[in-house]
Amino acid sequence: MNGAFTGLVLVIRTPRLRFVRALACYHRLSPAARFVEQPVPRRRHSMITGARDVAPILLGIVPFGLVAGSQVISAGFGMAEAIGMSLFVNAGASQIAATSLYIEGAPLFVILGTALVINARMFIYSISIAPVLESASARLRPLLGHMLVDQNYAMTMTRGRERSDVDPVPYYIGAWLALASTWQLSSIAGAALGPFIPASWGLDFAVPLVFLAMLVPSLKGRLSLEVAGITAMAAALLVPRLPMQTGLLVAMFAGMLWGALRHPAKEPSS
Amino acid sequence: MSATTTFWLIIAVLAVGTWAMRALPIMLHGHVALPSWAERLLRYVPVAALTALVVPGALYVKVDGAYTFAAARLLAAGMAMLVAARTKSVVWTLAAGMVTLWIGQALLGG
Repeated sequence: MNGAFTGLVLVIRTPRLRFVRALACYHRLSPAARFVEQPVPRRRHSMITGARDVAPILLGIVPFGLVAGSQVISAGFGMAEAIGMSLFVNAGASQIAATSLYIEGAPLFVILGTALVINARMFIYSISIAPVLESASARLRPLLGHMLVDQNYAMTMTRGRERSDVDPVPYYIGAWLALASTWQLSSIAGAALGPFIPASWGLDFAVPLVFLAMLVPSLKGRLSLEVAGITAMAAALLVPRLPMQTGLLVAMFAGMLWGALRHPAKEPSS
Repeated sequence: MSATTTFWLIIAVLAVGTWAMRALPIMLHGHVALPSWAERLLRYVPVAALTALVVPGALYVKVDGAYTFAAARLLAAGMAMLVAARTKSVVWTLAAGMVTLWIGQALLGG
């Protein structure tokens, strides 16, 4: 692949000597690369484009990853847990929520219930992205599922789907590789640096702030404002009163129910 | 069960549960349709879940295990919300919220 790339860069740079240069490079190509038809293979181009399109978002993940990593350390665990959680769970909001509930001493069913409700949005993402990724083989699909995160979903459903020069599946994989490596590196950095940050800085406040930054852009339309209002009231009243951190779960369900009951049945869901 | 085992158990259950929710619709695409009531219930998960996660942290701090109202946090969350609405950026939201919190704590205490 690299050989093909070098050869074709030469072709583009010196059009007059195209044939000579191309022939001169031909022997350097691996046998497989000799059959590549396009300047940059389409699959590879799609992956690179996906990674490039999410690049501006990557900076926004860093503080989030720092918080996730440092929390695992403040919960009393080490680098292995920080890395393992980011690798296997691969869903920031739920990682942070689960770890902070663990720190507060919530029982297992509350920790798992809350974190899984937070991730239930990915079920909706998965339903809506499935037609876009349907060219993927049955073997690849379970892996594609693991790669489904907020930013990747948003980018593939907009730019990835609209561009004619990319295939959505490799575009999606490329975008995830960029997102996941940033996520992993920043949670490692958080795990390494977290213990040195003094508690008086109030960095635990970064957790609700990150969620707030995700919430505000999604408050579109009257009904989502209502859902937010109901959930906020329920959370403010119930979280300090209900035992074992169950207030959080109850507040989430209150908001979801309000939305489901008030949502017009006829309107096609997107 | 040691703490480490418990935490790995949490990681494992979250990993499998989250994977199932993310992957099954992609894997079963074209085979199964979701009932409309489920779709309506799931539609507001993002807003409800995120709101529930923001509100307690924006109102209270824990003092000796009890939730205590903290004016500086509410002020900082309000400022962060304005910045989030304007910039839609995690970095700026974090910066605005943390700086307001520090100023608020210096002025109001706590």
